[in-house]
Amino acid sequence: MSEPVSGCQAPVDGRHPMTEISATVNGRKVTRSVPNHYRLIDFVREELKLTGNKEGCGAGECGTCSMFVDGKLVKSCLTPVQKIQGATVETVDDLDRDQGMTVLQRAFHKCGASQCGYCIPGMVMAATSTLRRNPAAGLDEIKEGLGGNICRCTGYQKILDAVQLARDVLNGSRPESALDEDAGTSFIGHSTRRLDAPGKVTGAIKYAADLWMANMLHLQVLRSPHPHARIVRIDASKARRLPGVECVLTCDDVPGVDNFGVFIEDQPIMARGVVRYVGEAVAAVAAETVDIARAAVKLIEIHYEVLPGLFDPEEAMRPGAVQLHAHAADNICKHTRIRKGDVDAALAAADLVVEETYRTAPIEHAYLEPEAGLAYVEADGCVAVHSPSQNITHHRHMLAKILGRPINKVRMIMSTVGGGFGGKEDMIYQGMLALAAIKTRRPVRYVFTREESFIASAKRHPFTIRYTMGLQRDGRITATRMVMVSDGGAYAMSTPGVMNKSAILGPGPYAVPNVWVDAIGVYTNNTPSGAMRAFGAFQSEFATEAHLDLCAQRLGMDPVALRMVNLMRDGATTHTRQQLDRVLAVDCLQAAVAAAGWDAGVPHRQGLGQAPRSDLGGTGTRAPCTLGARLAPMAAAEPAAATVPAK
Amino acid sequence: MKHRGRGVACGWYGIARTAAMDRAAVWVELDDGGTVKIATGVTEIGEGILTGLCQIAAQEMGVRPEDIVLGDNDTARVPEAAHAGATRMTYMIGNAVAIGCREAFGKFRDAMGAYWGVAPGSIHAFAGDVWVEGSPTKRMSMGHAVHVLKKERGIVIVGSGLFTSQHTPLHPETGEATPWQSYVFGAQVAEVEVDDDTGEVQVLGVWAAHDVGRVVNPQQVEGQIEGGVVMAVGHALMEDYIQHAGQTTTPGFAKYILPTALDVPQVTSVLIDEPDPKTPLGVKGIGEPAITPTAPAIINAIYDAVGVRITQLPATPERVMSALQEKRVREAAPIDATRVTAQEEIPMGPP
Amino acid sequence: MLTFDQYLTPATLAQAFDALEGLPGARIVAGATDLLPWARDGRAGDVHLSALVDVSKLPELQGVGLADVAPGRIRMGAATPIAAFQHHPLLQQQAPVLGRCAVWFADDQIREQATVGGNLVNASPAGDSQPALLAMNTHVTLARREKGRILERTLPLSEFIVGPGQTLRQPLEIMTRLELDALPGHGAAFEKVGHRRSLVISTVCLAALARLDPTRRRIEDVRIAIGAVGPVPERLDDVEDFLTGQAATGARLREAAELAVERVRSRSRQAYRREVLVNFIERALVAALAQAGLEIQRVPKESGHV
Repeated sequence: MSEPVSGCQAPVDGRHPMTEISATVNGRKVTRSVPNHYRLIDFVREELKLTGNKEGCGAGECGTCSMFVDGKLVKSCLTPVQKIQGATVETVDDLDRDQGMTVLQRAFHKCGASQCGYCIPGMVMAATSTLRRNPAAGLDEIKEGLGGNICRCTGYQKILDAVQLARDVLNGSRPESALDEDAGTSFIGHSTRRLDAPGKVTGAIKYAADLWMANMLHLQVLRSPHPHARIVRIDASKARRLPGVECVLTCDDVPGVDNFGVFIEDQPIMARGVVRYVGEAVAAVAAETVDIARAAVKLIEIHYEVLPGLFDPEEAMRPGAVQLHAHAADNICKHTRIRKGDVDAALAAADLVVEETYRTAPIEHAYLEPEAGLAYVEADGCVAVHSPSQNITHHRHMLAKILGRPINKVRMIMSTVGGGFGGKEDMIYQGMLALAAIKTRRPVRYVFTREESFIASAKRHPFTIRYTMGLQRDGRITATRMVMVSDGGAYAMSTPGVMNKSAILGPGPYAVPNVWVDAIGVYTNNTPSGAMRAFGAFQSEFATEAHLDLCAQRLGMDPVALRMVNLMRDGATTHTRQQLDRVLAVDCLQAAVAAAGWDAGVPHRQGLGQAPRSDLGGTGTRAPCTLGARLAPMAAAEPAAATVPAK
Repeated sequence: MKHRGRGVACGWYGIARTAAMDRAAVWVELDDGGTVKIATGVTEIGEGILTGLCQIAAQEMGVRPEDIVLGDNDTARVPEAAHAGATRMTYMIGNAVAIGCREAFGKFRDAMGAYWGVAPGSIHAFAGDVWVEGSPTKRMSMGHAVHVLKKERGIVIVGSGLFTSQHTPLHPETGEATPWQSYVFGAQVAEVEVDDDTGEVQVLGVWAAHDVGRVVNPQQVEGQIEGGVVMAVGHALMEDYIQHAGQTTTPGFAKYILPTALDVPQVTSVLIDEPDPKTPLGVKGIGEPAITPTAPAIINAIYDAVGVRITQLPATPERVMSALQEKRVREAAPIDATRVTAQEEIPMGPP
Repeated sequence: MLTFDQYLTPATLAQAFDALEGLPGARIVAGATDLLPWARDGRAGDVHLSALVDVSKLPELQGVGLADVAPGRIRMGAATPIAAFQHHPLLQQQAPVLGRCAVWFADDQIREQATVGGNLVNASPAGDSQPALLAMNTHVTLARREKGRILERTLPLSEFIVGPGQTLRQPLEIMTRLELDALPGHGAAFEKVGHRRSLVISTVCLAALARLDPTRRRIEDVRIAIGAVGPVPERLDDVEDFLTGQAATGARLREAAELAVERVRSRSRQAYRREVLVNFIERALVAALAQAGLEIQRVPKESGHV
């Protein structure tokens, strides 16, 4: 795409031309005047306050904004508002036309299709569109109809079950009673339909970005463009003078002890003297509109002195590397050690020693709800922050200290969370919100863009795991050594806990007499690594289970059999010398193998000239995806001649 | 050509906070109309805790899940129940709710026992009905019972509960510790199809067995397993947050690839529901245990299918093709007895 | 974020030219599905334009039908949504390769919004519609206004796209329509690989069409076009020449496919793209020929070529 013509500039004051839009939305004629750059999603959410529809990404990639325009399902974040002039728009908010819920929504409720619920309005719209177009749609067609909608919680299975159930009820092949709660004689053990599902499938439930208060201001944040730099000077004077700006905040405005963190409180709410990663908050503006706040952020002048950055944990640990935090020599944030028995001796005596190195990538949580919050000061002076925080207890502690207030003058309310997975445990914006509310004495709202969420929030720790395992010929593991180095990024976040958990669980549910584990989390100038579902055990157990397969290959053993030799039993002692009582590891393996069916043998037996395994392709597998469920079969040419052999 | 293979992996996970004492507290009130008000530090993040707690409370208090009102998680309004993570919610807060409800229900039984002149232990309640064992006349609705106790006896039924899980910190040199009271074990089998024209891997089936303790809501546990498996499919095959010199080249969903409905396996869940003996309810958890075996099972299945071992996640089509190409080159080279690489050690053979 | 001074929705082509001529820096927009994601952090960032001129409703850009003066050709308005590739009965019958391309193109929602003209004018190297349209001998028509008169010129799509995001469209030209072959009797295939199976950017994409001679042993007509492996999408004319009139065998298909290796001129992942491209050509031809009435076995893979 070519560059815009020079001289043509966005309004410096953040006041954009308005445009008048008349359309029929959910059966009602509306005429509104809105900023001309609004997309349909902005019109629906910000202007009409129909908050059932979500903006999960703003780039047409997640589907949470899906709605009907003149009967066609579109992504409203990609629709300039001008395109709905005179058109008919149908959003999730009134899909049921006051009848309660549609059959499809009831099916979602029945099947447990809604978990965090953030993707669900968009999913309901996509499913509605699919069944409207073809009331007899089969599973493949339904999948294609939902192929533009991402869900991070459910794995899609129950969503697909729900759409098929709705289809069958609508076409009469299943009775409507199939949508009702199943009968039961006990509540524990019953698949009770989720109590929050009706609010989620109709879009009625409010997440943080759906909350409004009278007289509300909007926050926007200036984030560091540099991975490592000294802040020489901040000049916010032009920003402060912009009409509509109520406050501009920097670290100088923080009254208390300015640091937070899940384990080590090493992160200021806005950068103090130095920025340590691209995306770190440096300043915040609260203004009458988001547009004015954005314009004001552009007017803040910051002079940086770029510093050398560290982007590799091995390099960051080397002597002479620039030290990123005063408290961390060699940039080591956390080093967890497990030592049991004598690994060196056991390896020397082992029949077989297998070595390999495994690597996992940094992972984004990708909750469909980007971070958001609303803060306000109550009449008694208590500052309240309403956000999808996963740990309001700890956040309140830290916020009280940062704001220099008694703890009962800080109130944290956890809004319904549109997905967390550990990514909403860090207090990366609530401090700025609270401070802005205190300074302006007005409610302040902040909604992250998806791009902000990506670069500013924690990622799953990437690990490099050097694995050495000693085994006897019969498959018994005699020694496990795991040396794990992880990029902790710019701030500690959950690094200490992740190193602990990765080490404790890393060698797996196996009775290993000699264990050596190092888990080293290192500071760098990358995006900080933090808590994410399975918290280090995903990475370390990945290495162990892949390594066992390699060992099975080397030993010529079936990988299930190899595990059976080594799995812990009742009364086992763990790698941290805890004695367990009941251990159901073998029960789980046997159950998984029984459910799947398992034709025992060495991995990739066909490569050794053996007959291929016989347990493939049974029930429990789907057909491979070949797109085109809705395509008419190609008109066949006249019946084929013989099959031509290769040569 | 397409090649199929299978892999297996086991896993284990500790429940609740690691190597630190964990705690959760609850207040319970038996309220007008036979409803129940519960205040504890919980907000639904999608795992189903809201419904699960209401089921537990309903069972303990003799009402229905829809009769339960769960207060917002608000530091100014509810007792602390610590954080939403570490697969701790059902275990910590579920048990705390059970304990709080048992206290409240015990008081209810005492009060109704006095009202009816019967032994408290003979009073039962389920789904909003209250009755005395063996008596055809002594029964009423829970709503009426609450009304009677309040109006005639001035009794408001309240209870509180605390659940603590005893964990010890790690020894700094050896790591010796009791980091958790409860563990969840698991195993998964994955079946994949590898397309050697493109390096694409499709995961066609996953069978997952997890020892989740007493199951409060089977559909929700399945939902967690299915979601965890699919998240792991993403980790295994397509997700990679990439930075160069600290700058992110994957700042959105166009470049950071998540699984869609067309990428997911069929998932068969087996719930092994032996109750945990150490806690009142016997529940454990599933949110995180579900996600650890899948990726190695997939990687092992890729090896089973095409004989290449991917040691760096994600196993993108490019990495798989590159590994296949290396394998072809290696196998085409003349056999040299002295050149034994890591991948080619002669298998030891079974004992 | 995308901002602008004005958003105009002209009702006629003349009004559209009024807008383009009167507002320097005005940009034509159709579906907006490329423009809005582009103007975001991590890509172009905040972009301000003098005006957007929305051509998606212009009558001259609508409609799908047989081209009346050109037998065997289909005419398609530039504002035709990609969804029409799958749903329009004429395209289903006469240009089935387009449907096969459409199922790989983004998702249901975006297909309703994105237009074929927009896709061609943006000329993304990874654009999925280009190979299919190239294989159909597509010509594009551009309208301009000179001294008050609206004039048109038509040129082959193969000449229209000259670089990544670069076409021969002049700033004040508007693409009005396309014309492409109607090929109801050809076997057709579309191959694409990305990192998942929906809403994904192509690493390699390819369209192939084939027809056999009356004996069903020789290839009478074959068209192969590729995308995402170089700065522009291309017809594989040398591969087509190598195959036309020849007996269709697995060995011949493999040899033909390997001719295309040099066509990979991407900035990254070249080794991967070369290997996949060869496999795709073979696979697509086998599929297209099977539809045309001839089953062929591919030769085994040992012969490494990279």
